[in-house]
Amino acid sequence: MRENNCEVIRRELDELMLDESFSTSAVAHLKECAACREFHERQTKLRRMVGSLGTVAAPADFDFRLRARLTNDSTNGAFHYWPLIQKGFAIAAVVIVFAFGVVVVKNLVDQPKATVVENPPAPQPPVPHESLALPASAEHTAGVPTSSPHKIRNERTAQPAAKIRRPMASTDFSKTGVGVIPASEAVSTDTGPAFTIDTSLEPLRLSLDDGRGNAKTISVPTIRFGSQQMLPNKNQLAQKGIW
Amino acid sequence: MDTLTTIDELGFAPALQQEVLEDRTSDHALLEATRTGDQDAFAELVSRYRNQITSYIYRMTNDYDGAVDLAQETFVRVYRAADRYQRSYAFSTYIYRIATNLAISELRKRKRRKLVSLTGFFLPSDGGEPKELNPPDCRPLQDSELVDTERRNAVQRAISTLPEKYRAPLILRDVDGRSYDEIAKILETSEGTVKSRISRARGFLREKMRAYL
Repeated sequence: MRENNCEVIRRELDELMLDESFSTSAVAHLKECAACREFHERQTKLRRMVGSLGTVAAPADFDFRLRARLTNDSTNGAFHYWPLIQKGFAIAAVVIVFAFGVVVVKNLVDQPKATVVENPPAPQPPVPHESLALPASAEHTAGVPTSSPHKIRNERTAQPAAKIRRPMASTDFSKTGVGVIPASEAVSTDTGPAFTIDTSLEPLRLSLDDGRGNAKTISVPTIRFGSQQMLPNKNQLAQKGIW
Repeated sequence: MDTLTTIDELGFAPALQQEVLEDRTSDHALLEATRTGDQDAFAELVSRYRNQITSYIYRMTNDYDGAVDLAQETFVRVYRAADRYQRSYAFSTYIYRIATNLAISELRKRKRRKLVSLTGFFLPSDGGEPKELNPPDCRPLQDSELVDTERRNAVQRAISTLPEKYRAPLILRDVDGRSYDEIAKILETSEGTVKSRISRARGFLREKMRAYL
């Protein structure tokens, strides 16, 4: 009970200004409580010491300097906004860098990449040998000897999946057509006909049809050195039991 | 019954004149005049508050040159924001609030800069608070003025080690002698918070100044 009273009295003493008079209860308490009396004396001494710090005067040229500063500020009015302008530049720079990053990432994502395409087998009625004529556009016909049952077609402009009977993993490297290899450019070699192929970076896709509806699509990787011998081994591309 | 010929014959005329005169010299009126471009009115405001504000910021930052700079910045802000000034508070509350904010932001800047203090070399090994380098002076005392000066310096140093949230209310109360209500308005907090912070600040000081009490 007494401790509570001490706390209340000390709080009261603490809140009063030094020159303010205490309540009668506080005075009575201080008379009988030595601890609170000591606390009060030390607190008063401390507050007097802090209060003795007093006021520090401003320098004599305070007004002059202030006037100069205000004048300077008013003449350089535009510079008031310099921090804002700086922030604006910083934000604009961040936005530009972000936009550039988005464009770069978008370009990377949009780059043609190797996609595995499931080519469902398309039903195709057997075609008579005579009707395996060249497509309407002669440009799309590869130069193949007529005696050969094989037809080599560039399928870059055609639908590749239409003539494949079984699901095959193929890679569609390009949507643009490539030049047609004319038959006259075929060079006979010991192992078979060879075609000079344009050394473009795009791979070549060929489709072979045996005239009975059996088709085989070949994807030839990029050729870098001018020519590549085609069909080095006939059995390599042949479906067993058909060719 | 006599007939009144002029209004001065009324008894309250001089009192009215006095009131108008006082109103013209009030802080609000001076700021109003500053707003309309009256430089003399602003000069009067500066002359009224320059010492108080400089002293207050000096007690907060313990750096006189910096305090003068910040006091000037305080007046520049008052001048620039004269158009936006609202009379809801006393002008002294308004200007002290600006000064407090500037002083506190300066203290925070200093913290960020992490100035290397020479007293930092005298950190106690137990990781407690750094002790000021204060080698005992065994020479005989010259006179009481020196003792007072030394004591004031000790108090100032002790205040400058207080956390800023305790420092501002303590200075406003015990150095400037402002009321709790005004301090609460300056610091934008409640009176209860102000009282409790001042009490804690005195507790800290009592510990630091034990040798002098």
